[in-house]
Amino acid sequence: MGSVVLVVRLVLADLRRHKAQAAMLLLAVTVATATMALGLSLRGVSDALYEQTRAATAGPDVVALSGDTGPAVTAALASLADAPEVIAHHGPYRIVYATLSTRDSISSPVVVQGFAETPGAVNRPLVTSGRWVRSGGTVLERGFATALGVGVGDHVTIAGRSYPVVGIAVTAATSIYPWAAQVGPGGGPSDYSGLAWMTRADARTLASSKDLPVTSALDLKLRDPAAADAFRHAHRASDIRINFHSWQFTAVQDMVILGDSQPILVVGSWLLGFLAITGVAALAAGRAVEQTRRAGLLKAVGAAPGLIAAVLLTEYLALALAGDALGLVIARLTVPAIASPTASRIGDAPGPGGATVATATVLAVAVAVLSTLRPTLRAMRTATVTALSATAHQPRHRPWLTALSALLPTPLLLGLRLTARRPGRAVLQACSTATTVIALVALLTINAQPERGYGLDGSFALPNLRGEHDRRLMLAVTVLLVALAVVNTITFTWTTAMEARANMAVARTLGATPGQISAGLSAAQLLPSLPGAVLGVPLGVGLLSLFAARNAAEAPSASLLGAVLATLVATAALTALPARLAARRPVARILSAEAA
Amino acid sequence: MNVSSAVVRARGLVRTHGRGPGRVRAVDEVDLEVPQGQTLAVMGPSGCGKSTLLHLLGGLERPTGGEVWMDGRRIDTLSERALARMRRRSVGFVFQAFHLVEELTAAENVELPALLAGRSRRQARRRASLLLERVGLADRARHLPSRLSGGQRQRVAVARALVNDPLVVFADEPTGNLDTAATLDVLRIFEDLRAAGQTLVIVTHDERVAATADRLISMRDGMFVDDTRLAGTGTGTGTGTGTGTGTGWLGGLGGLIGLEG
Repeated sequence: MGSVVLVVRLVLADLRRHKAQAAMLLLAVTVATATMALGLSLRGVSDALYEQTRAATAGPDVVALSGDTGPAVTAALASLADAPEVIAHHGPYRIVYATLSTRDSISSPVVVQGFAETPGAVNRPLVTSGRWVRSGGTVLERGFATALGVGVGDHVTIAGRSYPVVGIAVTAATSIYPWAAQVGPGGGPSDYSGLAWMTRADARTLASSKDLPVTSALDLKLRDPAAADAFRHAHRASDIRINFHSWQFTAVQDMVILGDSQPILVVGSWLLGFLAITGVAALAAGRAVEQTRRAGLLKAVGAAPGLIAAVLLTEYLALALAGDALGLVIARLTVPAIASPTASRIGDAPGPGGATVATATVLAVAVAVLSTLRPTLRAMRTATVTALSATAHQPRHRPWLTALSALLPTPLLLGLRLTARRPGRAVLQACSTATTVIALVALLTINAQPERGYGLDGSFALPNLRGEHDRRLMLAVTVLLVALAVVNTITFTWTTAMEARANMAVARTLGATPGQISAGLSAAQLLPSLPGAVLGVPLGVGLLSLFAARNAAEAPSASLLGAVLATLVATAALTALPARLAARRPVARILSAEAA
Repeated sequence: MNVSSAVVRARGLVRTHGRGPGRVRAVDEVDLEVPQGQTLAVMGPSGCGKSTLLHLLGGLERPTGGEVWMDGRRIDTLSERALARMRRRSVGFVFQAFHLVEELTAAENVELPALLAGRSRRQARRRASLLLERVGLADRARHLPSRLSGGQRQRVAVARALVNDPLVVFADEPTGNLDTAATLDVLRIFEDLRAAGQTLVIVTHDERVAATADRLISMRDGMFVDDTRLAGTGTGTGTGTGTGTGTGWLGGLGGLIGLEG
């Protein structure tokens, strides 16, 4: 018990002394775990929302769709309702393919389903505002109405006829907006379409007045909902071509709009985790001497290696786990908006599942352990007396680099020598920059993809929600990655400046100006950033190729080059402030402190 | 003394540390002139302001009041950049703790100021090689500081201080970390420098070092309490006088190295 109290006291004292570092670790782990938890939760949340919508709307287990209409089709569909597996049905009902326009002149393809004024036992759309269909009025599917910006009381024009919107509803019988059509006229492919309901008579009138394409559908409730696929296979052999959409198929279709979201978030979380490790590793390395001395002190008063490891690791682990918890809470709060970009489903999004929590926690612990294990092991293994007198890391002599730098202007001379002092940190800086460029390449590539709007003939009067959602997510992940990379760059620069402060002070006594010192510190970060930025482009393209469609467009070379240059310019700008602050520290004071 | 011959000059120099009741005058209204070629030793108890005075004269710290002149140019009002250029051109420093760059060899340490001053690598290398030979470390040129003794390190530091042919060398307790044999080695170098007409300002606790000087100033509580001419020129307080000879060790070296042009 005493040991636990001691560990807690030491950890709290150290946290108080290093608030900024603690905040950085907390932030890094929080964003990495939140992003990972979001990515891993999407499928579960999408499924849960579908399930809740299905339960609230008596969603069918199978929807049978025929590309035609007429007595033979009606008879074929009706015969399905007599199958022994079926316990209830709705329909057959007609689906009319038309064009809908709003007062704001937004036009969209729409499928109009003709329903009874009193819903039956299967497929009872849930009215979320207004009322259910009545003669002369239409009810719009909620995702569609949201995209159109239309509410109850507005008027819409369908195939040239004006209808008041009497209600807004959701259904689990069709895919979410804009895939409500499910099949096109004649059973062919369908355009992006919204869904509207009318009375059967109104739908019939609408279809006949303009000779609009019509298909038929039948909703079925099975004795065993899990056997929907078996039902589909058993009834496929028919003279009339019928498409069967099982409820499982519709649930999977709901994920189409999130098809790119999951890789964006999950791969983004790997990259964020990697940046967290590089940043925290740089911090831990910067504190290695202090930690070793601390370990020496503890050894001197009788602490065993286990206790020392606990003291050194607990702080990082505790912060990582706090960041993990925070990340999971953020994921819980944001997942409804991310997992349901349309308003087509209802219900509460569940929190991250056990597997997600476990995976995010593994990521958080990995960040803490991977970034601190080396200094912890070093502190544990160093003999007590040696640990107590631990001095700063002694860089290796690198004759060829020193000789090469002697040929360069002073800022590059200083920069190259500073880089050579800490090759490991240079690699971390290069990796951090490469990660940033990977994110920028992904963002540029996603923005370069051609897409059709959801409006009539691909008009962007109704934007492509999937594309917008992907771009927003990619932008958010990129912003987080860039934010961590910014923190890392500032940390690397400051740590380098602090470790080299004595040498830089000596250089100033020898005639180096503060500007040259500052430029040298910036150059020390820029030199490894250069190969990192250049490598980031092929790495980003390669990473994207793992997830992108075969016909995906590539980002223009000019914009990729611009991303590389912008990253380097931003790195130079970011290093300028800490470098300038470090270069202006009083020389005499630094030298006196070093001599003490 | 002829004012125009003063390489270093200070008027009413004040440096305070801290604020309020804890405010301390590390250097208190000091006037000083160091003529060209003079070796000046500054002695006094710890905390009397010797090192602060050295830092102020060398442009490493800014005074709270008063003026500092170097080679006829006022330097306490210069920008940091101009001060750095002044140090590069006119000043060499030798520190008690050596302050060598640990990852550079002895030769590379000596080359560094020459490179910072914009000399070519070949010139810097040639200059470093000659200076290391003069301080008796030609065979240690490729050694890292960690493989040199304290005395050898300080000799490398002296060579480094001289690499840009400074007008004045400021040495802060140059023998403070050395044993007797190493101290004597360094003293021999200082005597050679003095003989060669190099202006030297040495802050020291070591009377053996002070004994090599032309002039000795004693400090207490930030003020000069004594100013003694050691080369038989008498004792006085305030401004000192004296000139060194212009021939000898460094004069000959300058000709050999040929970097002045």
